[in-house]
Amino acid sequence: MGRLRQKGKAGAAKAYMTRSQAIKKLQCSLADFRRLCILKGIFPREPKNKKRANKGSSAPTTFYYAKDIAYIAHEPVLKKLREHKAFAKRLSRALGRGEWSSAKSLEENKPVYRLDHIIKERYPTFIDAVRDIDDALCMIFLFASLPSTSRVPPSLIENCARLAAEWQLYIMHTRSLRKVFFSIKGVYYQAEVMDQTVTWLVPYQFTQNIPPDVDVRVMLTFLELYQTLLGFVFFKLYTDVGLVYPPPLDMKKDEGAAGLGAFSLQDANRATLQLSIKEVDVNGKTISSRDVRQTIKSIAASGSAPTDDDALVNATVDTDADVADEDFVPHPSKSDNKDAQVLPTLNALATLPRPTSADLFAPYTFWISRETSRGIFEFLVRSFGGRIGWPASSGSGSPFEEDDESITHVIIDRPVVDRPEETPEQRERRMRRKYIQPQWIADCINAGKILLEEPYGQGKPLPPHLSPFADHADAYNPTTVSRSEDAEMAEADSDEESEANDLGDDTAEPEADKPEAPVAKVTLEDVADPAVLRAAELAAEAAGLDYGTFEKDITKLQKRAKNKANAGATEGQEEGDMNKMLMSNKQRKLYEKMKYGQRKRAAEREKLEERKRTLDKAKKRKEKT
Amino acid sequence: MLSDEEGDEPAASDDGGVDEFPEIDAGSDSDDPEEEYDEGEGEKESEDEEEVDEEEEEESGSDDDIHPFPRPKTVISDITKQPKRVYPEIEPDYDSDSSTEDDPNRIGNVPLHWYDDMPHIGYDMNGKKIFRPARGDELDKFLETVEDPKSWMSAFDKSLQMDKPLTAEELDIIRRLQAGEVPDASYDPYEPTVEWFTSKQEQMPLSAAPEPKRRWVPSKWEKKKVMKIVRAIRQGRIVPSKPKSTQPQFYSIWNEPADSQHPAPLPAPKPPLPTNAESYNPPEEYLPTEEERKEWEAQDKEDRERNFLPQKYSALRLVPAYDQFIQERFSRQLDLYLAPRVQRAKLQLDPDSLVPKLPSPSSLRPFPSYRALSFAHANGRARCVSVSPDGAWAVSGDEGGVVSLWEVLVGREVKRWTFGAKVGSVEWCPRTDVNFFVVGVEDHLHFVVPPNLPPSVFAATQSLLAPATLPPAPATPSPVKWVSSSTSSLDEPILTIHLPTLSGLPGQLTWHRRGDYLASVSNREGQGSVWIHQLSRRHSQAPFKKVKGSIQMVLFHPTRPDFFVATQRYVRVYNLAEQKLLKTLMPGIKWISSMDVHPSGEHLIVGGYDRKLCWFDLELSDKPYKNLRYHTKAIRSLHFHPTYPLFASSSDDGTIQVFHARVYNDLMTDPLIVPLKILRGHDIKDGLGVLQVRWCRGQPWLVSAGADGKVAVWCS
Repeated sequence: MGRLRQKGKAGAAKAYMTRSQAIKKLQCSLADFRRLCILKGIFPREPKNKKRANKGSSAPTTFYYAKDIAYIAHEPVLKKLREHKAFAKRLSRALGRGEWSSAKSLEENKPVYRLDHIIKERYPTFIDAVRDIDDALCMIFLFASLPSTSRVPPSLIENCARLAAEWQLYIMHTRSLRKVFFSIKGVYYQAEVMDQTVTWLVPYQFTQNIPPDVDVRVMLTFLELYQTLLGFVFFKLYTDVGLVYPPPLDMKKDEGAAGLGAFSLQDANRATLQLSIKEVDVNGKTISSRDVRQTIKSIAASGSAPTDDDALVNATVDTDADVADEDFVPHPSKSDNKDAQVLPTLNALATLPRPTSADLFAPYTFWISRETSRGIFEFLVRSFGGRIGWPASSGSGSPFEEDDESITHVIIDRPVVDRPEETPEQRERRMRRKYIQPQWIADCINAGKILLEEPYGQGKPLPPHLSPFADHADAYNPTTVSRSEDAEMAEADSDEESEANDLGDDTAEPEADKPEAPVAKVTLEDVADPAVLRAAELAAEAAGLDYGTFEKDITKLQKRAKNKANAGATEGQEEGDMNKMLMSNKQRKLYEKMKYGQRKRAAEREKLEERKRTLDKAKKRKEKT
Repeated sequence: MLSDEEGDEPAASDDGGVDEFPEIDAGSDSDDPEEEYDEGEGEKESEDEEEVDEEEEEESGSDDDIHPFPRPKTVISDITKQPKRVYPEIEPDYDSDSSTEDDPNRIGNVPLHWYDDMPHIGYDMNGKKIFRPARGDELDKFLETVEDPKSWMSAFDKSLQMDKPLTAEELDIIRRLQAGEVPDASYDPYEPTVEWFTSKQEQMPLSAAPEPKRRWVPSKWEKKKVMKIVRAIRQGRIVPSKPKSTQPQFYSIWNEPADSQHPAPLPAPKPPLPTNAESYNPPEEYLPTEEERKEWEAQDKEDRERNFLPQKYSALRLVPAYDQFIQERFSRQLDLYLAPRVQRAKLQLDPDSLVPKLPSPSSLRPFPSYRALSFAHANGRARCVSVSPDGAWAVSGDEGGVVSLWEVLVGREVKRWTFGAKVGSVEWCPRTDVNFFVVGVEDHLHFVVPPNLPPSVFAATQSLLAPATLPPAPATPSPVKWVSSSTSSLDEPILTIHLPTLSGLPGQLTWHRRGDYLASVSNREGQGSVWIHQLSRRHSQAPFKKVKGSIQMVLFHPTRPDFFVATQRYVRVYNLAEQKLLKTLMPGIKWISSMDVHPSGEHLIVGGYDRKLCWFDLELSDKPYKNLRYHTKAIRSLHFHPTYPLFASSSDDGTIQVFHARVYNDLMTDPLIVPLKILRGHDIKDGLGVLQVRWCRGQPWLVSAGADGKVAVWCS
C-alpha cells in the first residue's frame, strides 16, 4: 500500500498562501508586509484553482507564493522593521517619562535599513535596472514638482529634484534623447540608454497637491525604493561615461533658479588621476604601468625630461587624446582584405557616426520667451546640441542675452501683437530671427530633421501634434489616410467619367472593333501584373491604338477584376464560416476572441476614418463658399 | 494592635474631654473600639453619667495596671518538656465582650409578627412571659401626643411594642443629622495638625537605629555593571559615538556578478505608450462628439476604455495641469504591488489559420444546392416523407391525416389517401420486386400500394400483403393483429397492423434492408413501444421485455443482425440473433432526437434536441469521434445518402445542412467531414422547422418535409 496522501499537504494548498496567513507567518503588521512587498517586488499570484489553494473556499482572497513569503522571512529589512517597532516603543516610553537624554540617544541609534541588497537582488545586471527605471523616473519627476507637506518632507522633494536634474544632465550629456510628445497629461520623453528605451512622463509645471484618496504611505515606500535604485543607476551611468557622481551642485546658482545649470559635470578622469598622482607622491611606489607609459610619451613629446611631478600631472591631464591612442585599434589584416572590411568590429561599431538627429539643433541658437516652460525646452534643445538662452524672469544663468546676434530661433507661444513703437534696430533683429511655436521643437525631434518653420510660425494654427510612439499595426494613421483618401476620391471621379464613357462607347462600338485586339490579350488575372500590362501597352502602341483608349480599357478591366475578387472573397468567407463548424470548442473560443479584437480595432479605425472624411468634406465645402 | 497605639495615639480615646497631655489608660482603651461599633442601645446612660464613670476608671486604672494584656505565665509543658507561656482564661464579663445590652425581651432576632396572635411578646431573662403592653386605639395615641409634652422625644420600640423615650445622646444625633453635621459628637473635624515629619531638625531621631552601611559604601553590583560596560568599551565591543556609516551611499553595485541562485524576477509590464489621441493638439477626428463625451462621463472609472478624453488646445501655454496625474501614478503603483500577474504566451497567429483547411465544397460536387420544387400540404405540418427505392416517387404525410404520393421530378400529386388521425411516419419498402409503403397512424400501421404499378409487381405485392393462404398463426396469441382487406381498391390500405390499443402514434418506422422486417416505435412510453413485424410470417414481436429509458428511435444495422436503440440519453446496440447487448454508446446529448447509420455500418450519427450532432466510429469507441454543434435549434432529422458520401441534417431553425462525409476503409484515416451547403427555404412555424429529410436513392437529391406544410426537393 502506498503512502496515504493527506489533503492540503501538497500541491496548490502548499504552494499558495493567503495574505493573512503570510502576515501571521512573518509576524509583522499589514503595513510592514505591504512595505516589504513593495520593496522586494513581490506581488500576489492567481492560482489556477482557487478552491484548491484555499482549503476548499472560493471566497475572494489574495494569494502569494509560499516560497515568496519564505523568501521575505529571511529579509534583513524585516529584521530592521521589527527593531524599529521596539525602538518606537522605547522612544515613546522615554518621551512619556520625560527622559530626554535617553530619548536623544535612542534617536541617534535609530535602526535604519539599507536597500542595496534588494536592488542587487531585483536587478542582477545593470541592464535589468535600466530597463525598469521608467516608473522610477515618473515618480521622481512627479515628486520633484510637488509642494512639501507634513507627509512629504522638503528634503525628499529636494532629493527628487536633484535626481531628476541628474538624469536630465546625463541625457543631455550623452545626447540619448530620442522622442518627445506633448500630451494632455504631461510631456513624454523617450531616451535610449544602454540600448534600452526609457520612457518617462513629466507633468506640466503646475503645483499639484496629493489628493486625499491616494495613500501617501504607499507612494513614499515606492519612492524610497526608486530613489535608491536611481542613485545606483546614475552612479553607474555617470562613472561609465567618465563623470563624477554625484555632480557637484552650486548652491548660489541653485538659489538663483539656474535649474540644470546649477550642477556642473566633472570629468572623473581628471579627478581620479589627480588623486592617483597624489598617492604616488605619498607612497613613491604604486605607479601604474599606464602612468609610466604616459609619462614616457609625454617626455618624448616634449623632448625634455620632466623635472618634477607637477609636470607629470600636467602631461597626464593634457594628453587625454593620447590615452585613446593607447587603446587597441584593429588594423585590417593584409591577407584577406575583403573579409576584414566586411566584418564590423566592436570598435568600428562604437565609432560609427551618430544618427544626424542627435546633433539636430547644433547649428542653431534658441531664445525662449518667458511664457514657454524653460525646463522642457532647455532640456530638449540642449539634448540635441543646440544653444539656448532665456530671459531673467525664467531663472538665472542664461548663457547669452536677448539681443545676442547669434540667436536664430525664438520659441514663442504668444499671439502676434503689433509693435508700433519699435526701433528699426529691433525690427531688423526681429526680421532676422525665426519665431516658432514650441511644437516645432518636438516635431523636429520626432521627425529627425529640421522641419519648415513656416506652418509653426507665431500665432498660426498649428498642424496636429502626433504621437511618435508606434501604435499597433492596423491602427488608424492620420498621415497615411489623407493620401489614400485622395486616391480614392480621384478614383471615384474617374469612375463616373468612365461610366459616362462606357455609355458613349456602346454606341461607337462597331467602329472601335479592330483595335480592341491588344487589350483583349490582357486577361482579368493579368491586370494586377505590371509586366503584362507593360507588354500589352507596347502591343497597343504597335497596333496604333492611342494611349487614352488603351488606358480606359485597362481601367475597365481592372474594375471588373476587382468586382470579381470581391465576389470571390465573399464566397471564400462563406466557406470559412462553414469550416468553423468543425473547430473544437477551445479553438472556436480563441478564434472568436481574436476576431472580436480585430473587429473592434477595425471599427475604431473605421470610425476615425469616417470622421476624417466628413471633416474634410466640410472643410472643402467651406473653402468653396 | 493596641500596644502600638499606646505610645503614639493618646488622643484616640473616645472620652469627651480631650486632654492636653496624652495619658495612657488601658481600661478606656480596651473598650473604646468596641463601643465605637456598638449601637446606641448599649449606652443608655446619660452623657454626664458616663463622664463620671470614666473619670473614676481613669483614676483607678492609671495606678494599678499598665499592661493591657493579661500576663502570661511560663510553665513547663507536660508533653514537650519545654517552657511555654500560658495565658489566663478570658472571663466573659463586660470587659471582655460587647454583650452589655439589656434588652428585656430575650427572644432574639426573630420577627415579632410571630407573636401577633399571642398575648405575650416574648420572654425575659428568667423565661417568664412578657405580656403585650396595653395599647390604645389611634384616638388614644393622638390624645397621648397632645397630652404628653414629651411624646415627641419618644420612639416606638419594636421589641417591647411600646414607646420609649429617647436618650439625650440619641436626640443629639438626630439633631446633628438634621443640621447636617457629623453625627458623632466626639469627632473633631478641626483638629490641630501634628507635624510628625517636618523640615525642622529634631533633637532626637525618631528611630534610634544606626545608619545602614549601604548608605555610605559604594554598591558592588553597580560597580560590576559599570565594569562590564567599561570592559566592553575597552575591547571595542561598544563604540561610544559610532561613526554614522562608512559605506558611501551609492557605489558601483553591479561590479561583482550577482549570485545566480535566484533567477532575476520578471520585469513588470510597461504601461502602453500614448497614442495620437493623448496629444495636446490631436487631429480633429480624435475629438469626441457630444454623445461620446456624455457616455464617457456616465461610465464608471473602471469601465472606461481610456482614462482621458481627447482635447485640443491651440497653444501649448493653454494646456492645464492634468488633474488625475497623481491618481494615475498611484494606480500604476497599486498595479505593481497588488495586482496578480500572470505570464501569458502571446499568440502570434492569424486567427484564420485556426479554421481547419478543408477541401472546397465546389470540388465535392454533386450535392443539393437549390430547391427544385416544393409541394404543399394544405392542412397541417408535413410530418414525414419517404422516397421510393427507385427514386422516382415520394410519399409524404401530414398531421391532417393526408398522405400524398407525388413525382419527385415534377412534383405532381398522383394520389392522395386520407386517414382519420395524424400521420406519424411513412416508409417505403426497400424491396424492388414488390412496391408498397407503410403509413403509421394512431395505433395502426397501414400498408398501401401505390397506383400504376406494373402488373407483375402489383401481383407480387398483393400476394405478399394479402396472401390467399395465411401462414399458421403463432402458438402464443399476440396483441398485434394483422388484417388484410379483401378489396382490390387502391384507396384502401391492403394490409393493416393493429398495434395494441393506446400504444400511441408510431413516430418512426424502419425497414430491414431485405424488406422483410419492419420496426416501429410508438411514442407512448413503456415496453410496448417497439415492435418488429415480419411480413413473411405476418407476425409481430416486441423485442424488449423491459426498457430502460424512453426509446426515441431504432435502426437495423445494414449488414449485421444488429439493432440500434436510441433512448433519451444513450444508444444501445443489440445483436438480434444472439439477443444480447453489444455496447452502449454515450453521445453526451441531453435528449436524442434522431440517428442514422452509415451504409457501411461502421459509423453512426446521432443528433439531439440540444443542437449537438455526434459522429461515432463504432470500431473506435463508444464516445463520439466528433461533436458538432452548428444548428441554432434542435436537430430533427438525419439521413445518410445510400450511395453518395453525403449526409444531411435538418433542424428547427428551418435549415438543412448538407455534409460531405467520406469514410475510408483504411482504419488509420479519419473520416472526412466537410460542410457543404446550408439549405434555407423552409419557414419556421410554431417553433418547428424541417421535420424530416430523406435522400433519393441514386441521385444527390434531397427531399424534406417542413412544419410549414411544404415538402421540397433539393437538387444539385
